[in-house]
Order: sequence, then structure tokens, then C-alpha cells
Amino acid sequence: MESLELIREFLKDRLGVALERVVADAQLASLGVDSLMMLELMFEFEDRFGISLSKDLKSPKTVGEMVALMDQLRSEQN
Amino acid sequence: MSQRRVAITGLGLISPFGGDLQDFFARLLAGESAVRFLRTDDIPRPLSIPFVSCPGFDVDATLGRPLASTMDRFAQLGTAAAFEAWADAGLTRGQPAEDRENWGVAWGTALGGTLAYEKGYKELWQKGRERVSPLSVILGMNNAANAHISIQLGLGGVSMSHTVACASSAIAIGEAFRRVRSGEAPVMLTGGSDAPQAYGVARAWEALRVMASGNETTSPQACRPFSADRAGLVLGEGGAALVLEDWDRAVARGARIYAEIVGYGTSCDHSHLVRPEAAGQIRALNAALSDGGLPVEEIDYINAHGTATAEGDPVEVAALIGVFGERASCLPVSATKSMHGHQLGAAGAIEAIITVLALHQQAIPPTAHLHEIEPACVGVDHVTSARRDQPLRAALSNSFAFGGSNAVLAFRALAH
Repeated sequence: MESLELIREFLKDRLGVALERVVADAQLASLGVDSLMMLELMFEFEDRFGISLSKDLKSPKTVGEMVALMDQLRSEQN
Repeated sequence: MSQRRVAITGLGLISPFGGDLQDFFARLLAGESAVRFLRTDDIPRPLSIPFVSCPGFDVDATLGRPLASTMDRFAQLGTAAAFEAWADAGLTRGQPAEDRENWGVAWGTALGGTLAYEKGYKELWQKGRERVSPLSVILGMNNAANAHISIQLGLGGVSMSHTVACASSAIAIGEAFRRVRSGEAPVMLTGGSDAPQAYGVARAWEALRVMASGNETTSPQACRPFSADRAGLVLGEGGAALVLEDWDRAVARGARIYAEIVGYGTSCDHSHLVRPEAAGQIRALNAALSDGGLPVEEIDYINAHGTATAEGDPVEVAALIGVFGERASCLPVSATKSMHGHQLGAAGAIEAIITVLALHQQAIPPTAHLHEIEPACVGVDHVTSARRDQPLRAALSNSFAFGGSNAVLAFRALAH
């Protein structure tokens, strides 16, 4: 599964966000991802991709930043 | 500060029948049971019990998916009930015209977010995982429902939760009543919610040997309070909310007033964790009557705690006889748990609403399935089979909890 696909699936399931709204330059906050949902989303990435996110990881602001960060961590850790 | 009168201006409830509050009360007046047979897919042994669910509760439509995602089922039921009561009182959500910084919430729950915790336990010990969802704490915490309600309604005063087993929401209502009566808060949103269908919770109640059994056919009649063949209680999920408001404020804004809440009495049996004592219940009943300035002659209806357990029902009747004396034999009493089940921390609020609606509509719902009264429960005027229409001046709602904690709420009808 690709990182973008996981974000889309998560946001649809947890927040009811339509898939077409989840594009690279979309602000995560504007899609309803607050600090709590960010924790859940990061947890999901760790779970599904077997990666480990540092506690002091700076939260990405956009979908694109999130995808880039997760892809980078996946390639470093797997 | 002089004591204020307290009006009940809003009622809200997630009905197990699927309809609105008026539909719920009409079905109770007709003696209809919401109890159904529940069979789960839990392992190692599925639950197979009579239970009261709210299958018509559309969480997403009521709360929206993003908000609902941050809640356990008990907080969903509670917040949705609060929204209904708020709208029923004619109060707005969003930016209000008035200052709500000292309006508050008092909420009852016996179990809190048990389903969220149980989900975590399953992850850890059933699936062998090493961690649980980051939202587990905020989903599970006992004050989640009142916190969500305060946030959603923009209430800046006290936001508190009361966990007193089966008396949780009766005590929450009583504490809210005191805040409005003292002038501390002009409006309080109060009530309770619980979702006891967690596998471990249901199994724990089973182990106490106080749960009625049943199948597809017999479950609707499984809960038979005061009956010679009563066989125990029936658990249920639910949420119920009331808006308590300073009387003068309610009148000034032209609010509909269902009834007046006038008294609140509490006590502890201080004798045993699960075996009730009439003496303790009598203290709570007398305290509520005294607090409300109500002579026993004015009480025209008692909504009993009446869970249909072997020990509980006779003790409650003994307590009523102890307080009402000779008048007890013509004191109308009904146990509506026979139809809506026992929602634990929500039960007191559901039954307070039923008592308020009885006063408002001047009609008493019955104890369903009561065909042969247990000899030890004789001595009061049991309302059986179907509604009884009669003039009702004032009424009490009893909630007697494990732990020996007793709470009684007293309500007065509007002048007719």
C-alpha cells in the first residue's frame, strides 16, 4: 500500500473525508486532523508499515509533507 | 443567596425503540418492552442474554463522523442525548447570545468508556500486540461524556462526572439541581449514559447471578420486577439528559416547563456492598421529601428502582411502607425497568425523565409482566399491565445502588 492510499483510507474511515479532497497540497488540519487524530494517523503508519516514529517528530502540515516523510522513513527503516 | 426554584425545560433520550421521546413514553404507557435477545460473536463463548440496545441510534448522522471518532459508545449516547435535550429546551448550539461561562454539566456513568478499554485489552492479550490506540485514554475516561458535552455546548462552568453504580445519574441530577437552586449556575445540563455490552462487563454481571436469562421468544418478558417469578435484571445501553434551569429565567424566556424538581435525598446503607437495607432507603426517601417540602400525602407516583432481583424488590417495598405508612397501600408504584431494562449509570436519568413525563402528561406507565405479585412485595399500589390516568401532583424517582448508595429525586407537577 502507498502512503497516500493509507492516509486516504484513514481519513475516510475516521473522519468521513471524501477521497478526492486528500491531495498533496491539502492542509491536514483543514481535513480535520487535529493533534489527537495526528497521533492516531502516526500510530496507523507505524502499525501498517512496520516503522517507528520518533516522539519528537515534527508533525507535517500537508498531505504531501506527510507522504514524503513516511516514504522517507519507510525507505530508511525497511 | 435565597434559594431559586428549578424548572425542567429540556428532555432528551436515545430510545431503544428507535423513535423520539414522545414515542418512547407512549410505548411505556402501553406496557411495551424494548428488551430483546442479544447474541454476540465474542470469544471464547458468545453472550446470549436479554439486553436493551439502541439499534436505531445513527451515530454519524447525529454527531458527525469526526466527533464520533473521538468517543466511546457511552459518550456518543450521552452527547447525543444532551443535544436532544438542549434543542428540546429551545437552546442553541454554536455562538449563543448570552454568557454561558457559569452554565455547567453534571453527568452520571457507572462504567465510563469500558468498550474502549476492552478493545485495548483484546489487542494486548487476545491478539498479542504490544500497544493500543493513542486515543484509548480519552475514549475511556469516565469524564469523557461531560467533557464532550461542555465543549460542544460551550458551557464554561462546572463539568463533573458522578460514578455511583446504579445511582450515578440520579446523583448527577441531584447535584445539578443543587447548583441551580443555590444560584451558582442558571442552567445545568445533566443526565447519564452507559454501554455495558462489553464482554467482560456482561460476564461479570452474570457471575453475580443477578441477570435474567432468556431466548428469542422469552427475552421481551425477561425483566419482571415485584413478580413472584422474577428472575433478575436485564442490562441495557442508553443515554438520557435533562436541562435544569432557574425558574425565573425559564419563565422570562417563555420556555416550556415540564415540571419542577423540588427535592433530592441521599443516604448510604453503610451495611453491605450488595444487600440493600430498608433503613438506608428510608433515610433517602425522607430526605428527598423534606428537601422538597413535600408531605407524603402529595406524592401520587413512585418510579421504583425495581430491578427484579430477589433481594432488592422486597426491600424497596418495605422502605416505601416505612415512609408512607398506611397510605402506602394506595400509593401508585411502577418499575419501568421491566420495559427499558437497567442502563446502570443512565438508569436514574431515564427514570427521572419518565417520572417528569408522567407528571406532565398525568399518566403512569405500568410495571410490565407483573401478573402475580411476590408476597413480600405486597403493600403498595402496583400499577400493572397498562397506563393509569389520574391526577398527579408530585412524584419520586428512586435509585438504589450497589455499595448501599441511595438517591431519591422529587418532582412537582405544574398546577393543573
